[in-house]
Amino acid sequence: MADEKPKEKPREMRAEVTVPYEMAVGSNWHRFFEGLKEEKILGTKCRKCNRIFVPPRSFCPRCFDDNEEWVEVGQEGRIETWCYSNLMFPGQTLKPPFVPVQVVLDGTDMGFQHRIAGFDLSDFEKVRALVKFGGRVRAVWNKEKKGTIFDIDYFELVT
Amino acid sequence: MGKAVAIIGTGQTKHGRRNDVSYPELVREAVKAALEDAGLTPKDIEGVVSGTMPSMMEGISDTHLYFADAICEVGKPVLKVETCGSTGQSIAHCGFYWVASGAADIVLVVGSEKMFEGDGQATMSTVADPWFLKPFSAGAPGVFTMQAMEWMHRFNIPEDKAREAAALISLTNHDNALNNPFAHIKITMTIEDAKNAFIITYPVRLLDVCPTSDGACAVIFASEEKAKKICKKPAWIKGVGFRGEEYFLGESNKSIWPSATEAAKHAYEQAGIKNPLKELDVAEVYNPFTYQEMIFYECFGFCPRGEGPDYVLKGTFTMKGELPCDPSGGVLCTNPIGASGLIRLAEAALQVTGKAGARQIDGAKLALSHAMGGIDQFNGVTIVGADL
Amino acid sequence: MRKMAIAQFAQSAGVESKENLMDFTYRISKEVLDKAGLKRSEVGCVVIASSDIFHSGLSCANAIDWDGAGAFMVEGTRAEDSMFAFIYACMRIMSGHFDTVLVTSIVKGSENPENDTLTGFFADPFYMRPLGINETTAAAMQMREYMQRCNITEEQCAKVVVKNLGNALFNPYAHVRKRVTVDDVLNSDVVSDPLKALECAPKSEGVASILLAAEDKAKKLTDKPVWVKGFGTSMDHFNLGDRDLLNGQLKIAAGRAYKMAGIRNPKKEIDVAEICEPYAFQELLWCEKLGLCGDGEGGKLIDSGVTQMHGASPVNPSGGVLAMNPYVSRGLYRLIESAMQISGSAGGHQVDKKVKTALAHGTHGFAGQCHSLVILEG
Ligand SMILES: [Zn+2]
Repeated sequence: MADEKPKEKPREMRAEVTVPYEMAVGSNWHRFFEGLKEEKILGTKCRKCNRIFVPPRSFCPRCFDDNEEWVEVGQEGRIETWCYSNLMFPGQTLKPPFVPVQVVLDGTDMGFQHRIAGFDLSDFEKVRALVKFGGRVRAVWNKEKKGTIFDIDYFELVT
Repeated sequence: MGKAVAIIGTGQTKHGRRNDVSYPELVREAVKAALEDAGLTPKDIEGVVSGTMPSMMEGISDTHLYFADAICEVGKPVLKVETCGSTGQSIAHCGFYWVASGAADIVLVVGSEKMFEGDGQATMSTVADPWFLKPFSAGAPGVFTMQAMEWMHRFNIPEDKAREAAALISLTNHDNALNNPFAHIKITMTIEDAKNAFIITYPVRLLDVCPTSDGACAVIFASEEKAKKICKKPAWIKGVGFRGEEYFLGESNKSIWPSATEAAKHAYEQAGIKNPLKELDVAEVYNPFTYQEMIFYECFGFCPRGEGPDYVLKGTFTMKGELPCDPSGGVLCTNPIGASGLIRLAEAALQVTGKAGARQIDGAKLALSHAMGGIDQFNGVTIVGADL
Repeated sequence: MRKMAIAQFAQSAGVESKENLMDFTYRISKEVLDKAGLKRSEVGCVVIASSDIFHSGLSCANAIDWDGAGAFMVEGTRAEDSMFAFIYACMRIMSGHFDTVLVTSIVKGSENPENDTLTGFFADPFYMRPLGINETTAAAMQMREYMQRCNITEEQCAKVVVKNLGNALFNPYAHVRKRVTVDDVLNSDVVSDPLKALECAPKSEGVASILLAAEDKAKKLTDKPVWVKGFGTSMDHFNLGDRDLLNGQLKIAAGRAYKMAGIRNPKKEIDVAEICEPYAFQELLWCEKLGLCGDGEGGKLIDSGVTQMHGASPVNPSGGVLAMNPYVSRGLYRLIESAMQISGSAGGHQVDKKVKTALAHGTHGFAGQCHSLVILEG
């Protein structure tokens, strides 16, 4: 008996897990989101390396010192990099196709993650022809503000 | 500095969709194989390190508890170490430091994943915070593609050239996997297939990306004294390094990837390697994406910055090239995440001990293994050699 | 063995913090570095302790923990439990590769669902999980067995709560700080019979950070180094039915740590013990297995009063896990309390006797599946 393999293929069992969390935004990011409600993009500045962080950091991960200075940064910037996403998976916020982008907003020193939209994204060849490295983009505000990252609806191409 | 440490046994499961076994059974397969390879019994193991990708992948947390019986932990000292995709290298480093500390002479390190039981992309998107990164997450491919685009732009690499080189990497890895009895994806393909495959995140196509796999890997580390006694041909750990950048992707320059560069540098310093292209005989680079593999070549000093595609197209990294990379077929053909980084090390150890079978690089004596994790955030490197 | 010591440490209080995970982590690890007068970039390596997705909802917690822990471009790694992280940090120093390691453990209980929603994920999906096994139900079965086999009474278990919450009144870092009586405990809601609500640990916030350093370095970073003399861990079977719940792996883990530290008679040589007791009775059971009293004598131990803060063998002067339970971090909290007792800096919860040697214990998994401990010395 011990050596006998089961005749049927072993089954698989379906399982699903849902776990609720209540995550603290923290005063730093709270202030950033309040700024978005007023159509302002706020960053913090490190007094040691002078880099400006968006999203704002309460501290500089490199200098390991508190960032106490707040600055309003530009609503336009240049495309540092982008991609065209055609992939769907459970829990994804945006439905494909969409165009994630890293924008270096004017007056800042690093890429800010958002999306490019405002035109037909269905054909990637057309998207490719329009979206360029170093190209300029501008924040387009959502009329309805909820104090989330989508208060900036998307970045549009500046032509 | 520290005691010398060797690898005296490795074991892998057959990787792929393994719904014929439960998760602990899968892990046990690798452990059994490693013990057999080393000629040891569970009694000989003095400590166990385990690690996987996050719990969400299989819906079970703290799997070192679940695996207690399967990986010989019962009654033994244990540690659980995890760093996302780079877990495989991080647990190997833990095994290394454990033995180097003198606290144990023989340590078993086990990495595993059963990706077909959950959703890999959904799991990986939970690495991103819910406020800034997750809303725009296009899974791992989105992140890696943006990095590849930045790299091409920064070094003025024509898109066609990068595309051609990426296709060749895909072909090389898929061909190599045919020689590896443990590999998951075993297909015959052409350059044209790679170039015309379904677009995942432009310009990355289906054959540019790794699969999801079920699989496990186990590696046994031993002190110099024990290794010399037990093992005819140990693989010696020559150097280790691990670095991570900031959490937010946009804050550091991923086209020159400081964490990959510095992790390798740290390991090279210990191993006394000055010219990796000449001195290394083989490399097992963690390559879930073809384009990214070229960035690694540059970070690891296999070629100058921006010249990855040229070296690839010259055939530098093929089985017959100057520095063969991923003779196993790499992550591109087999990716049980928590095991993937450890598989790189196991494969490197097989190479320097001449046990790699059909995928053996003749006379390999010094090998690099590597893994990457997080949202392009972490890199770990381990160098192994045939000589102490 | 290379000598090493706890050079500096910092801990957050158990009350809910409005800070996000990243800022919370930064504040505590920064405090430790500032105390030591050490720059972030001068740290040899960083070991983070945090749980992946189920504590915080973020996978690969090392990713978001990294910046606040000071790990940017520093050699580093993460362990799944803070005792593991500390022991691994010791190994890294012993290996000779590093002179300093910053260990930071992160849990934000206020963001998480109930403790047992999360401990339920330790269970396998086929057998134990559908049967409702989690840390509390497993502990309740262990408690019943303990009461039956060793004649431990419910009152004796309740006394542990009275003692520990009483101690916590003097500990500004503790989460639950209230005076309770044996009757209060016995009359609190039944959670999983015979376990009552006050006998179960709360769900707490807790970021704790320790700077560990090799001998030469430690002397430069502090006036009062607390030496690490030994450590040990051990793992039991996964299935509860495969285990003797009263004779698990703690004795074996302790044996390893004692051997390393050269301790022959723990009862005499350990001056103070910080024990991880997420369930009140476990303090008694763990004391037995640690050799602080004889097997089956846990009840007598609490009755005798020796484990009180002013007794001959104080246990959990901090108030223990019953007063403060940041799941993954609780091991570091035990270590920090032990270090405070040794260095005489525990303030209101400083024990009366002079502390030379202290024991810090941690456990996780069902009914103590995995145990770890560390021996510290002044
Ligand atoms: Zn700075």
